[in-house]
Amino acid sequence: MSEIAQPASLALAVSRPRSPPFDWRRAVPFLLAAPLLLYMVVLYALPVVAMLLRSVNDPTWTLANYATLLDDVVFQKTFWITINTSVTVTLGCLILGYPVAMGLVRARSMAPFILVIILLPFWTSVLVRSYAWMVLLGRHGLVNEALLALGMIDRPIRILNTPLATQIAMIHILLPYMILPIANALRQIDPSLIRAASGLGSTPFMTFRQVILPLSMSGVAAGTLLTFVLALGFYITPAMVGGPRDITLSMLIAQQVDQLNWAYAATLSAVLLATALAILAVARKLPGVGNAFKTSMR
Amino acid sequence: MSKKTIGRRATLGLVGAGLVAAPFIRPSYGQAAWPEQTTVPDILKGSGEVRIATFGGTMQETQQKAYFEPFEKITGIKVRAFPGSDVTKIKAMVDTGNVEWDMAQLSRGSIMNLQKRGDYFEKIDYDIVDPGVEKQFRFEYGLEMLIWAQVLAYRTDAFKGAVPSGWADFWDTKKFPGDRALYGTNSGGWPEMEFALMAAGVPPDKLYPLDVDKALASYGKIKKDVFKWWDTGAVPIQLLTDREVTMTSVWNGRMAALQAAGVPAAVSWNQGLSKRDAWGIPKGAKNKVNAMKFVAYSTMAIPQARVCLGIPYGSVNSKSNEYIPTERLAVLPSAPEIAKQLVPYNYDWWIENRETVIPKFNKWLLS
Repeated sequence: MSEIAQPASLALAVSRPRSPPFDWRRAVPFLLAAPLLLYMVVLYALPVVAMLLRSVNDPTWTLANYATLLDDVVFQKTFWITINTSVTVTLGCLILGYPVAMGLVRARSMAPFILVIILLPFWTSVLVRSYAWMVLLGRHGLVNEALLALGMIDRPIRILNTPLATQIAMIHILLPYMILPIANALRQIDPSLIRAASGLGSTPFMTFRQVILPLSMSGVAAGTLLTFVLALGFYITPAMVGGPRDITLSMLIAQQVDQLNWAYAATLSAVLLATALAILAVARKLPGVGNAFKTSMR
Repeated sequence: MSKKTIGRRATLGLVGAGLVAAPFIRPSYGQAAWPEQTTVPDILKGSGEVRIATFGGTMQETQQKAYFEPFEKITGIKVRAFPGSDVTKIKAMVDTGNVEWDMAQLSRGSIMNLQKRGDYFEKIDYDIVDPGVEKQFRFEYGLEMLIWAQVLAYRTDAFKGAVPSGWADFWDTKKFPGDRALYGTNSGGWPEMEFALMAAGVPPDKLYPLDVDKALASYGKIKKDVFKWWDTGAVPIQLLTDREVTMTSVWNGRMAALQAAGVPAAVSWNQGLSKRDAWGIPKGAKNKVNAMKFVAYSTMAIPQARVCLGIPYGSVNSKSNEYIPTERLAVLPSAPEIAKQLVPYNYDWWIENRETVIPKFNKWLLS
């Protein structure tokens, strides 16, 4: 059997010299990924598509759900609140996270300890963390009691159930997503570049401004994108610690699901998803950010 | 050993003192005093199981003792309870033909709201329902099985002894200073427009049909003082406990636990809303017949009375009161003295108007 087959395969190889015989070793990674891929398609992608379809085919094929969004004041305000909160939180994470990332990279023996401190809240449930913020920020919480004791205020101030509380709690939850990509980028900077800069008479600030910061931009971009896109979907935290008008798009979606307006909820979900995808698509085109994607692929 | 005894005695003493000081704050009565149902009509007996979705928590614990266990014993039908009843899940179950619950604790509002969108519930077999179940609690696709109240609650230490009564007082932040919380529209809730209207002087018996614009105008007067539009029953309790608010609306059953914990808070029944939970049987439920039997059994006088003894909610069966001690009856929303202060919630109005009212409320809230 094989003796007969051999000349045939040889002949094939001769007639089409550029196509090598099928190499199973190259297929192995795909085969190994297949179960997960199948799992994701069947249990995640298909349900998401089915859910999104509700926005155009419930009860009949129509784009009316999208058309109504154009003069839907509640949607527009909620969308604006969501974007506004996400931008504020992302900026907060960047300002607070960058120095921590630098500290993390420079700390030698302390680095694992700092990493644990950063990651510890990461492993705690969002619900628990939101409750913790309620204890801290409440009218009679630790922050108010401390400010009162220090004489900085003469009666408790309202922090809990304000937009500020939402921002504080969200920054806390999202900080690791900002710190880790930046730290990763900083770690990849060749130390000899920094030594060269100072050897050439650069002050520490100039070194930071002209060497470290530009070289870490890929991490900043990755962290900013990740934080922003995650912030768009926040639901529990604003619901628990936010103000009476802190209604994010996710909260509106949940409310509409509960109110049984599933087509409307699906429409809102599609808008939220499209917003996140559009931001990613635009961001990829920006110089420096494309590299971040490549870096994270490695 | 001796240490242990002292500890236990001291605890008993404390508990005793608590009970003497405020006899009505006990979350539940001793099991010994509970009436027992010894016989049921043969038609309620059967085999197999019934899968019941509940709201979980202390409510389900009470239901377990009040009628799940006795039902199993007396009818031979096994009860499997699932916390997390939710009308959106029933929609998904019926839509996909995978009905995992045979019956669920919902409300007339949520049942009829879903039924409006398709055929999602079985009709109730009223031939086997106890005649003691009053007519007002019966409807085609469900049977109301629990009476509770959405009422005004306040911190007793907040107003130097002044006692708020009714929604005009709730709205009066000069006389009763401090932040407020009210029920919002998250989690599928329907806003308490009845309260806003009563605050504006609409008499309780003239509320329905609700004047939505008038309600929103009235809400406008207190908007800046409403610190939280709550969505689940635990939130107002936490807000009262943490002194975040001085007054809020609450679900009455939650207050017992709060008061038992020693928080200086009280309920004002006046102008509260009397609401009901209802059993609904999802369309295509596998054990539909058993579910009908359970609906009938659980609304009989004694099983209803047992719930009232376990948790401070009222009975839908007019004969239950015979089995409830007078002092217990006095704290139930179905007690005559309390019931006459409450306004019956009109689910039908809300089912009809919800779709226009909720967006209006949302828009108002964000403006």
